[in-house]
Amino acid sequence: MLSQIGFVFLLLSFISGLGIVFFYNLKKNKLFYYLVYLSFLSIVISFLSLMASYIISDFSNYNVFQNSHSSMPLLYKITGTWGNHEGSMLLWLLIMNLYNFLFSFNKILQEKLKKLTILFQTLLFLLFCAYVIFTSNPFLMNSINVEEGLGLNPILQDFSLSIHPPILYSGYVGFSIILSLALSGLFAGQLDNKWIKTLRKWSLFCWSMLTAGIVLGSYWAYYELGWGGWWFWDPVENISLMPWIAGLALVHSLIINNKAIILKNWIIFLSILCFALSILGTFLVRSGILTSVHTFAADYTRGIFILIIFLVIVGFSFLIFIIKSSENKEKINILFINKTTAIIINNLVMIIACSTILLGTLYPIIIEVLINQRISVGAPYYNSTVLPILLPGFLLMSVAPALSWTTNKLNNGKFYLYFFILISFVVLIFSFISESSVWGFVGILLAVWIIISSLFSIFINLLKNIKNLKFNFILKNNAFIAHLGVGIAILGITCSTVFKTEYKKNMNVEESFYFKSYELKFESLNIVEENNFQSIIGSFILYKKDKFLSKIEPEKRYYDVSKIITTEAGIYHHPFQDFYMILGDNNNERWSIILYQNPLVSLIWLGTFIMIISGFIGLKK
Amino acid sequence: MKLYHYSSKVVFIILVIIYTLNTNHLQAKNNVDEDFEEITKKLRCMTCQNQSIYDSETEFAQDIKKIIMNKLNKGKSQKEILDFLVARYGEYILFEPQFNKKNMFLWIFPFFIFCISAIFLFIRINKNRISK
Repeated sequence: MLSQIGFVFLLLSFISGLGIVFFYNLKKNKLFYYLVYLSFLSIVISFLSLMASYIISDFSNYNVFQNSHSSMPLLYKITGTWGNHEGSMLLWLLIMNLYNFLFSFNKILQEKLKKLTILFQTLLFLLFCAYVIFTSNPFLMNSINVEEGLGLNPILQDFSLSIHPPILYSGYVGFSIILSLALSGLFAGQLDNKWIKTLRKWSLFCWSMLTAGIVLGSYWAYYELGWGGWWFWDPVENISLMPWIAGLALVHSLIINNKAIILKNWIIFLSILCFALSILGTFLVRSGILTSVHTFAADYTRGIFILIIFLVIVGFSFLIFIIKSSENKEKINILFINKTTAIIINNLVMIIACSTILLGTLYPIIIEVLINQRISVGAPYYNSTVLPILLPGFLLMSVAPALSWTTNKLNNGKFYLYFFILISFVVLIFSFISESSVWGFVGILLAVWIIISSLFSIFINLLKNIKNLKFNFILKNNAFIAHLGVGIAILGITCSTVFKTEYKKNMNVEESFYFKSYELKFESLNIVEENNFQSIIGSFILYKKDKFLSKIEPEKRYYDVSKIITTEAGIYHHPFQDFYMILGDNNNERWSIILYQNPLVSLIWLGTFIMIISGFIGLKK
Repeated sequence: MKLYHYSSKVVFIILVIIYTLNTNHLQAKNNVDEDFEEITKKLRCMTCQNQSIYDSETEFAQDIKKIIMNKLNKGKSQKEILDFLVARYGEYILFEPQFNKKNMFLWIFPFFIFCISAIFLFIRINKNRISK
C-alpha cells in the first residue's frame, strides 16, 4: 500500500512540475506558485512513504527487501532509505525540489527573474524525475512474498555515514539552483547586484553544506575503514571534491561586486561548471564505471540515462552561455597585487587543480578504452600535481582579505613580509631537528603563516574597533576567520601525515607493549552479541608513565545477514594526538594489532568546522 | 613597487630552502625494512579497493609481500623489484602512474596549464604596471 501511495505522489510531483512549465507564461502567478508547493508537497509525501516502508520493514517493496532487514536498529532502518541507488535518487529529487520550494520565498529578486529560476529548476527536476521513474523506481513491488530482507551493507550502518548523504546532497544537488539562477540571469539579461547577492547567498550555503558532507565522509573513512588515514584520493572522493573546488572558486569570485562584465561571465561559467561536475560525478559512480562503496548496483541503462541528462543539461547551459553572454569591453583592474588579482589567482589555481583531478580520474578510463591497458592514478599522482599547484593560492590566502580593491598597497605589507621570513627560518630549524620531509616543511610553514597572519589581521581590526564591538565585527573579519580555519586544517593535515607513527604488534591478553613513554596494556577480549551483529572487542588501557590515560576499544564486527566483517577503530582523542587502534587477526593465539599515533588530527576537524561555521556566518552579510 | 620586488626575492629564497631540504631527504635511507615499507606502500592490492599492499592483509597482498621481502634480501634494488612486479601484473599495480609516452599527457598537462596561466597573468600585470 505504501509503495503505491509513494509512486502516485511521485507521479503527481512530476505532473505538477509539468504544470509549472506549462503555466509559466500565464499571468496568474498564484497558480504557478501553488503548483510549486504542490510539487514539493507530493515529493515529500512520496519520500516519507518510502521511509515509512523502511521503518515498518515492508518487504513487499522490492527496494526495502533488497536493502533492509528487520533486525536493524531503527536509525539505520530510517537512513537505509537513502543507503541505496533508488532511495538516494529519491532523496536527490526531494532536495532539488526543496531548493525550488525555498527559492519561491525569495524576496530580493524581481518577479520575472524569480519565476525564470523556478522554471529552470523545475526543468532540471523533471529530467531527474523521469530518470527515477523510468530506470530507478524505488517503489517496485516484490514479485514473491518474503519474510525477511537482505540487509543493508554493514559499513553503511554507522551514524556519521547515515547523515552524510542528506548533508552532502544539500550541497552537491543544491548546485542545481545555482545553475538555474545563472541561466535565468543570462536569459533575462539582468545581471545586477541583486542577482549577484542572491547567487552569493545560495552558493555559499550549498558550498558550506558540501564541505560539511565531505568532512563527514572523511571522518567516517578515518574511523571506519581502519587504514589510519582520512583521505585516499579515491575516485569517489575526487568526484565530490571537484564541485567543491569549483564552488570554492565561485564563492570567492562572487565577492567581486563591481560592474566588470567579464567577471559576470566567469561567474556564470563557474555556476554551470559546479552542477555539471556534480552530474558527471553521479554518472561515473552510478554507471559503475568507477567502482566504489557508492556504486550500489551497477546498471548499464542507468549510466546511459544519466549521461544523456548530463549532455542535455551541460550542452543546453553552455549553448545559452555562448549565445546570451554579453561581450566584454571593460577592463578589470589587475595590479600586483590587489584583491582582484588575488581572486583571479585563486580562481586560476582552483580551476587548474580541478581539471587535474578530473584528468586523473578520467585518464585510466580513457587509456583502457583506447589501448586496453589498465593503469591506476593514485594518491602519489595527486600529491605531486595538485598540491604544488595549490601552493601559490595557499601563500596568498593569508594576506588576501587584507588587500585593497583599487591600489596595490598592503597595509603593514613589510611587517607581513619580515614575518614570513622569520617563520620560514623558525620552521626550517624545526624541520632539521625533527627530520621532517619537504612536505612537512612546506605544510607547517604555510599553516603557521596563514594562522598567524590571519590572527594578526583580526587583531589589527580589533584594535581599530575596540570601542564598539558588535556582531558586525565578526562579519567583517569573516574571511580571516575562514582562512584561519584553513590554516588550522593544513597544520592538522601536515602533522598527521608527516609525523604519524605506526606500530604493528602481536599481543596476548594481559600483555603490555611499551612505546616512547607510553604503555599499552591488553586487558581483555570480549565477545558481544548485538541484534544484527556479533562483535569482538579488544579492551586496551593506555598509560603514560604509569598514569591512566584512557581505555581504547578496537572492535571487529561480523554481520550475520550480509556475512561481512567490518573493523571499527578504537580511538582515544587526546587534544594533541589521536591514538588509533585496529584489532587484526588472530594468529597462533596472539592478536595482531596496529597502533597509529596521529599527531594533531583533531585540528583537521576543528579547522574545517571553523570554515563551515564562517560559511554560514557569511550568509548574514 | 617595493612589495613586488621583495616578494620575488622571498619566493626565490623559499625555493632554495625547499631544494636543499629535498636533497637532504633523499640521502637518508638504506635499510631493508624501510625499503620494504616504501615499496609496499607504492603498490595497489589488486583484490581490494584502493588499498595498498602495505595496508592489506589479503592473500594476494601476503604473496606480494613475500616476493618483495625475498628480493630485498637478495639485494635487489627498489627499481628492479617494481619493474618485476609491473612486468608480471601490469602497470595497474602501481599507484603512481609511470612517466612514459602513454602517460605523458597526464603528467605534463597540469604543469603546462599552470605555467601558461602564470605567464599570461604576469604579462597582464606587467602591462598594467607600465601603462600606469
